[in-house]
Amino acid sequence: MIALRIALAALFLMVAVTVQTSLLPHIAVAGVTCDLVMIVVVGLALARGPEWGAITGFAGGLMLDVVPPSDHTAGRWALALAISGYVAGLIRRETSAGPVGPVGVAGTVVLGAALSLLLYSATGSLLHDPAVDWSQFGVRLGIAAGYDVVGAIVVIPIVLWLMRRVLPARERRRALP
Amino acid sequence: MLKDLGTPARGLVRAAGLPREIRRRRTVLVLVVLASLTLIVLDARRSAGSPVDPLRHAAATVFGPLESGATSARQPVDNLRDRFAELDRLKAENEKLQAENEKLTTELLTTDYTRNRAAELDRLLKVAPAYTVTPARVIGIGGAQSFQHTVTIDAGTADGVRPDMTVLNGDGLVGRVVRATDATATVLLIGDRNSTVGGRLNSTLALGFLSGRGEIGGTLDYKLVDLRARPKVGDRIVTWGSRGNAPYVPGVPIGTVTSVTPNQGTLGSTATVKPFVDPTRIDTVGVVTGPPARPPRGTVTPEQGR
Repeated sequence: MIALRIALAALFLMVAVTVQTSLLPHIAVAGVTCDLVMIVVVGLALARGPEWGAITGFAGGLMLDVVPPSDHTAGRWALALAISGYVAGLIRRETSAGPVGPVGVAGTVVLGAALSLLLYSATGSLLHDPAVDWSQFGVRLGIAAGYDVVGAIVVIPIVLWLMRRVLPARERRRALP
Repeated sequence: MLKDLGTPARGLVRAAGLPREIRRRRTVLVLVVLASLTLIVLDARRSAGSPVDPLRHAAATVFGPLESGATSARQPVDNLRDRFAELDRLKAENEKLQAENEKLTTELLTTDYTRNRAAELDRLLKVAPAYTVTPARVIGIGGAQSFQHTVTIDAGTADGVRPDMTVLNGDGLVGRVVRATDATATVLLIGDRNSTVGGRLNSTLALGFLSGRGEIGGTLDYKLVDLRARPKVGDRIVTWGSRGNAPYVPGVPIGTVTSVTPNQGTLGSTATVKPFVDPTRIDTVGVVTGPPARPPRGTVTPEQGR
């Protein structure tokens, strides 16, 4: 069961990375694409808790860092998504024992987008990456957050449903009323 | 350790969780953050050859074919985008049209797409006599929220593509190769803030440097070496080439000057340049893999002159 869950999470992340780098840029809004990997990480964190959020965030971010066409210092997306995933997992634990509602999911995705983009840009600034442009940051974050909520409406229910399918029977009894 | 990861739901009923669980999830967070910071530090020294490079290589080997495959599914995505752009017009027209010849429309769109690609290759061929060009397709694009203006192309070292080669298409200069693996290569577009290209004004042959602004449209800043020279609006700019044709070969059109502003506090002026290549619409590109097929000029030695 645990191996199946890890395999499923890995599959989710790989598909998300592939689609985000090759297909989504063609339907970008003002150049900003949907952060599919971030959405998947938030979905996994909401399904399994902060540890899973942090580890899948690190793995997904690392893939974004090294898969072409990335040309920045590796580890920046890994750090940003790990912390976003951890925070998303905390939200799920703090709010309730039951499933998180649609508004909660949208809020978590917006928070995840804001946190990950902020961390990614901040590490870029610290490393003196000339590509980071803070004057454009607000606009791009706004578009990205809106776009991510749209993407989350499609992606997160799929992630949550599939992760619930591979939940062990004793946990399913406890997690679901 | 790994087995523990599967059961965070135990603390689900208690909001705060047991102290042991809190300790464990904090350990995980600290480990992950430390791992990220280690990666950043290891990869930050680019000059000495990064230890992350094997990882990048492996990632490109695995994801290159995946991206390539996903790009073949691009046509429906393109159709979706066009549909969004012309939603108003299509809404009225689509309903009656689509029902009666859906099959025809699909066929027509395919022809359009194929014809566009053929036209792009055709224009590339017109540039080709001047240089040895390897054609390639764009299979991955960096997002604007990561402030990156890079693309992946589906040609790599197996096709003779190496870092520091010029990338162009039928319209003009696209960028240069920064990293290449067996089957894919990463191209830094000229609109990126990390990119600087030597450019020559067509009208006066004055030399200058173009640097990217990091904007979506790929707008460039142009600064002339000769501080007294003033570029004019409408002037065209071509590359002046680098030693050994790397990273840029000479004579590739870059863009036109759209406005000129005097520099604040210093001599000289900065021109805004609109590139000929629309960075959001690049599909088929060519990598200059060899010197010009025919040298542009013969050499004149003193012996010959006499």
